[in-house]
Amino acid sequence: MSLTDKKYAKRIEAAFAKYPDKRSAVMPLLYLAQEEYGWVSPEGIHEVAELCGLDPTQVRSIAGFYTMYSEKPKGQYWLHVCTDLACALRGADQFYAELLEDLGIQDGETTADGLFTVEHVMCLGACDRAPMLQCNFHFHENLDRDKMRALIDKWRAEAKQHMKTSGGSERAGD
Amino acid sequence: MVANITKTVTIYIDDQAYQVEAGANLVAVAKWHADNDIPVFCYHPKMSPVGMCRMCLVEMGSVERDRATGEVILDEQGKPKVRWMPKLQTACTTRAAEGLVIRTNTPAVADARRNVIEFLLTSHPLDCPICDKGGECPLQNLTMAHGPGVSRMAFSDKMKLDKHVPLGDLIFLDEERCIQCARCVRYQDEIVGDPVLAFHERGRSLQIITNSDPGFDSYFSGNTTDICPVGALTTADFRFGARPWELTEVPSICPHCPVGCNISLSTRLDRDFGGRVVIKRVMPRQNEQVNEIWICDKGRFGHHFTRSPQRLMQPMVREPSGRLTGKSWNDALQAAAAALQAAGGDVAAIAGSGMTNEDLWALRQLLAGLGSSRLAAWPPTHGGAEIVAQVGVGQGTNLGRLGQGDAVLIIASDLEEEAPVWRLRLKQAHDRGAYLVVMNARATRMDDFADETIRYDIGEAAQALAGLKASYPEYAQKLADAANLVIVAGAEGLTLDGSRALMQAAANFLIETGHVGRPNNGLLATFPGANYMGLHYLGYTPEAALDIAHKPPKALIIAQADVLADDPQAADWLAQVETVISFDLFADEDASRFAKIVLPIQSFAERDGSFVSGERRVQRFYTGQGPMGESLPAWQAFSRLGERLGQGRAKLSAAAVMQEIAAQVPAFAGATYRDLAKVERQFPDVGGVDLYYGGTAYQNKGGLGVQIPTAADRGETVTPYPAPASAAPRAGRGKLLIVPTTRLYNRERTFQPSALVHPRVPAAYVEIHSADAKKLGIQDGDFVQIAVADAPTLRARAHVNGGAPQGAVIVPRHLSETAAPLVVSVGEVRKAEG
Amino acid sequence: MQQQYILLRGREIPDIWKLDVYLKHGGYEALKKALTMKPSEVIDVVKASNLRGRGGAGFPTGVKWSFIPQNEPIKYVVVNADESETGTFKDREIMETNPHQMLEGALIAAWAIQAKAVYIYARGEYWDLTHALDERIKEAAEAGFIGDNILGSGWSCSVYTHLGAGAYICGEESALLESLEGKLGQPRVRPPFPAQKGGGLYGEPTVVNNVETLTNVPWIILNGAEAYQKIGTPQSAGTKIFCVSGHVVKPGNYELPLGVTFRELIFDHAGGIPGGRQIKGILPSGGSGPIVPATDAVLDTPLTYEDMQKINTILGSASIIVIDETVDMTWVAARVTKFFKHESCGKCTPCREGTYWLDKVLDRIMAGEGKPSDVELINNIARNMAGMTLCALGDFAANPIIHTIKNFPEDFYKHVRAEEAKPAAKPAGRGKAREAAPVAGD
Ligand SMILES: Cc1cc2nc3c(=O)[nH]c(=O)nc-3n(C[C@H](O)[C@H](O)[C@H](O)COP(=O)(O)O)c2cc1C
Ligand code: SF4
Ligand code: FES
Repeated sequence: MSLTDKKYAKRIEAAFAKYPDKRSAVMPLLYLAQEEYGWVSPEGIHEVAELCGLDPTQVRSIAGFYTMYSEKPKGQYWLHVCTDLACALRGADQFYAELLEDLGIQDGETTADGLFTVEHVMCLGACDRAPMLQCNFHFHENLDRDKMRALIDKWRAEAKQHMKTSGGSERAGD
Repeated sequence: MVANITKTVTIYIDDQAYQVEAGANLVAVAKWHADNDIPVFCYHPKMSPVGMCRMCLVEMGSVERDRATGEVILDEQGKPKVRWMPKLQTACTTRAAEGLVIRTNTPAVADARRNVIEFLLTSHPLDCPICDKGGECPLQNLTMAHGPGVSRMAFSDKMKLDKHVPLGDLIFLDEERCIQCARCVRYQDEIVGDPVLAFHERGRSLQIITNSDPGFDSYFSGNTTDICPVGALTTADFRFGARPWELTEVPSICPHCPVGCNISLSTRLDRDFGGRVVIKRVMPRQNEQVNEIWICDKGRFGHHFTRSPQRLMQPMVREPSGRLTGKSWNDALQAAAAALQAAGGDVAAIAGSGMTNEDLWALRQLLAGLGSSRLAAWPPTHGGAEIVAQVGVGQGTNLGRLGQGDAVLIIASDLEEEAPVWRLRLKQAHDRGAYLVVMNARATRMDDFADETIRYDIGEAAQALAGLKASYPEYAQKLADAANLVIVAGAEGLTLDGSRALMQAAANFLIETGHVGRPNNGLLATFPGANYMGLHYLGYTPEAALDIAHKPPKALIIAQADVLADDPQAADWLAQVETVISFDLFADEDASRFAKIVLPIQSFAERDGSFVSGERRVQRFYTGQGPMGESLPAWQAFSRLGERLGQGRAKLSAAAVMQEIAAQVPAFAGATYRDLAKVERQFPDVGGVDLYYGGTAYQNKGGLGVQIPTAADRGETVTPYPAPASAAPRAGRGKLLIVPTTRLYNRERTFQPSALVHPRVPAAYVEIHSADAKKLGIQDGDFVQIAVADAPTLRARAHVNGGAPQGAVIVPRHLSETAAPLVVSVGEVRKAEG
Repeated sequence: MQQQYILLRGREIPDIWKLDVYLKHGGYEALKKALTMKPSEVIDVVKASNLRGRGGAGFPTGVKWSFIPQNEPIKYVVVNADESETGTFKDREIMETNPHQMLEGALIAAWAIQAKAVYIYARGEYWDLTHALDERIKEAAEAGFIGDNILGSGWSCSVYTHLGAGAYICGEESALLESLEGKLGQPRVRPPFPAQKGGGLYGEPTVVNNVETLTNVPWIILNGAEAYQKIGTPQSAGTKIFCVSGHVVKPGNYELPLGVTFRELIFDHAGGIPGGRQIKGILPSGGSGPIVPATDAVLDTPLTYEDMQKINTILGSASIIVIDETVDMTWVAARVTKFFKHESCGKCTPCREGTYWLDKVLDRIMAGEGKPSDVELINNIARNMAGMTLCALGDFAANPIIHTIKNFPEDFYKHVRAEEAKPAAKPAGRGKAREAAPVAGD
């Protein structure tokens, strides 16, 4: 499978329709590539380059500049915890330490089952609702350890369910 | 300094007024007019400024004027009052404008410079003693001049990064040394048009990467190592090769193509070379009219043939047994003289396009003494040099000046492969606004930069150009109406006659639209080799080569021409020559198969000499490295041979030969060595001791050369030629047109020994259209055999749909052992076994 | 002072994000009115209102619009919804709860400069929000407010969203434009400025405005410049959303007239400091503005562009981070420095190297391995960064160091003094200690 798959045709077309210059579509298309491959893989880079008429070097450069494109494989659930100043003042560091402890991994690592990749990030614009985390780009706010555990359990169950129904061939969403 | 900027403005640098060109870059202006070196790292005069290194910060303001009267307001001391900007400003992003005031000598500026250097050194390793750039490094120089005495960044805190990242086969990156100036990135993007380098990550993690496949793959990659202001980019050829201060720079001219790039041979006494002087690297030498500060990678890395073990070290004479045996010069010359005398005037000479003017003159004298004027130019693939002499690009042409309002037409040429630096400069002409039309029977790289692309049938170039007005009136009109028009013509897909017809058609277009006899107007031909125009001016013609093949003489001199590698039929006609005397660089048993006497000559690197470039610029080069074996400069060998034949005393120096040429051949009037050695200050001013913008291209101290005027330049009337007759070959049933093309990287003997670039010389291949392939049952990647008349069949892999038009097979020259046809031919193609 | 909802109208009318509800409450009336005015008249009204940019720099909005050359055929409006400053979450609430008013403001701006398209550049993390916004745009287009021949005016304008992908620098307007063009989000050399030919999006003249700025515009058009000017102070007109975070009982957004004091905002509105602790310092503009000590004089300073200058800080984006007495200000400086080190785009030497170096030295200080001279060193590094870069990030990154040292020198020297008393070197691995910051949760 790849971005040339029919299921992306409409969204690719929509991305190009927004801008007078094809190059501008590189960011939306990189998100598509990430969705398709689970990360911004070399195939994804080459396909985006081809689509936008850019050199693969330029596309990789863009992918490397922005933090929301992952240039390495990651877990099904990509968790971002804000530990920036405003959140840190409200206990985010401790919250993050607890999350790592519960998952048994270090900052930036992926759980052995491939489910969770965890990173601490800079301010996400939710400072008044700290501690918070973002999972596959969706916000979860006003958390504490219990709420966090409930979320993790929910995602685990969801992934298990998904494995059963899809034969494990596809990635679970959030 | 910049010819087309005429308006001048008054600016003030350190309280001194200067009249400068409006709109010119401030760093350049300060250097040129005030001899004030504003230090820079990211700024480079050949690329758009980005203002990112912050090294060039200066105090800046503008002269205050009375709003009503526009008069300058003066202060108590009668000096203009200045409105200063609150912050320091980057000089590199500023253009000269009326009333601009800067100060470069204040404590604030000194502080800023010191701080930027200190910042740069926080991550930069202190490995100058083992760095290739040490000794010619802008960072090192500017640190001495402006930097802090000691670094406050504890050494243990320094970044540890990868120091040997190959970006491709030729260029290595030292990540620790990179100062993130983006020069290499911008160069690839703006100048070359191959954006294969970029930054990855951000902040202090910013690193140069390439993600193309194969790596950093460009014919122009070496230039990045010159413009890199630190030792971050180095060539695989020179890495750890020598220290810059041990090197002696010898001005030279690249021997590989008609552009005639000015180069500098960095030489050194070398133990591995018997303690003799040897080339350690080739660097560009600035000549703004010819190659600016660029050279291609073939020029830079293709020098190894000069000291290849394959070089011919001593004269050889064929024994009655048939074996070539080493002899003294005396004996060999004696044998040659005897053979020539025995031929009784039935002698001819074939000279390759790498022979110098001095050689060609001496050879011509030799033949004249024997009563022959059969002088052949090799390879006989390109006609019309005489037309270039009539309406070639005008004296004073500078492709670097073409831009908005101008036009360029490229026809029947794969410019990137045939004349890389012209391709580089014309791509930029297009970026500056020049209208670019590319005509060819197939797609070439230049299409990427063209405004219009026109296809015609193989062999129909002349007709297509002659009919341009009828078939593409709009394009033709734009070309005609351009302020300046240059037509670049090659000979791809053409016979010798066909290529002459194309030159005629091009000349006609230029004459009819008034684009001759002026700078930046006229015809430019992508002739093979460094001195095809020299061959013309000294009386050698490609037609004579065909005549020799047709009617072989008793004795034939072949001078630095690889006829067997170029012409698949050569063996047939060479066999009919009684005595072949070969003057050669290489001891190649196969190539000298027909020679009775083989005499070793010197390469361009070992002697003085001169070439005439495609732009008709006579350019001299100097002796760079020690001779190989007993080889002599060819002119000297000819001259000595003449002496044996009673033609008078041999000349003593190349300069003396050139003096004679200048006196006797009108085209060379005013081209004595002294004239050729003249230099004038170049803009931008690079490569001086101050390395002011950090380029390590070399200053031109060896001469800018002298451009031969065309007939049109001399004011002679040039009249159109008769309409070209159709000379296009037609393939009959079951046959295809076999189209030889040029590849920059190939297995020619003057390139093969440069092993570094070998991985990039493609294996022998041909391109075939999918419809033809289908008919012949050929699939992509199959081996095919190509047969043209009675020549040996050529075997290569087929690239189906690699870009061949239907009915034609594209056969790149010099990739396989077997020669491709000399010119477009009719042949048969079939699938080969295994 | 009472909260007054010009922008956060969702607080009073919870469903105003829906088009029909918005229309019921006067939605798109301002656009209709603007379309009956000449573009230059619209600009004049905005100029007269004294509306200043809410993205941080406070530049007069009408003046900015008037820079756009009239004779250029292609022009753009770009809405800056990148909101990535630590402690800032106001544009988010506007777009979540009152999106049509922002769209309407952007359309009025587009009419005023005769733009043919509006791009909304939202930070990538606002993924859900932006996808919802796409729906709002679709609804507005179906209702004829966006697209061809808007409301029969003969003028056509499209609106698009563009998602960033995690880069604070893309909030800086020229980096934002680069990013929108599909390039690295690094600031451009100016001039040319975005409003000039050659400086804007795709080289065309472009107005870049913050979400909050534009959301003010419909109100101004409907109620007039004078009415707007009456709110706030003469130099700082209108209401402002103050994002209050950190050590307050009720963190959140507060929309109040400019001129409200820190004291009112923090104690009357945000509920004061939890646990009865003392307030120690305030960052008035996220991580980037100079920190101020919470003295009485400071607490009584009105939050206006002009008054903030008097206490040596800036109003900026008005993201007020409140810090109580339990916090070590060196830790604050170190944390903010990590942010800037992470977010420096790397283009300018002083910022790229400076943030890296500051972070290194601060790590050393936090690990208890600093020397007294290190405080001087970072102060000096920061001063060498300030004012030396293409964009203001270099200054932003210098502020936490310079101003924290100036205002809280004790917090710095206690680390290095402690070090002096200790014996020589420390065992390796102590560096980790820096992460265990002295945080007082609530
Ligand atoms: C490093 C940096 C980050 C910025 N981030 C933002 C931002 O997230 N949102 C914003 O509206 N303006 C931001 N700005 C300010 C913008 O450059 C610009 O001034 C603003 O968008 C103009 O809009 P306004 O006139 O409506 O305030 C930032 C500036 C800098 C230097
Ligand atoms: S490799 Fe050299 S030229 Fe390229 S960015 Fe680094 S220092 Fe500059
Ligand atoms: S900023 Fe001017 S030379 Fe780099």
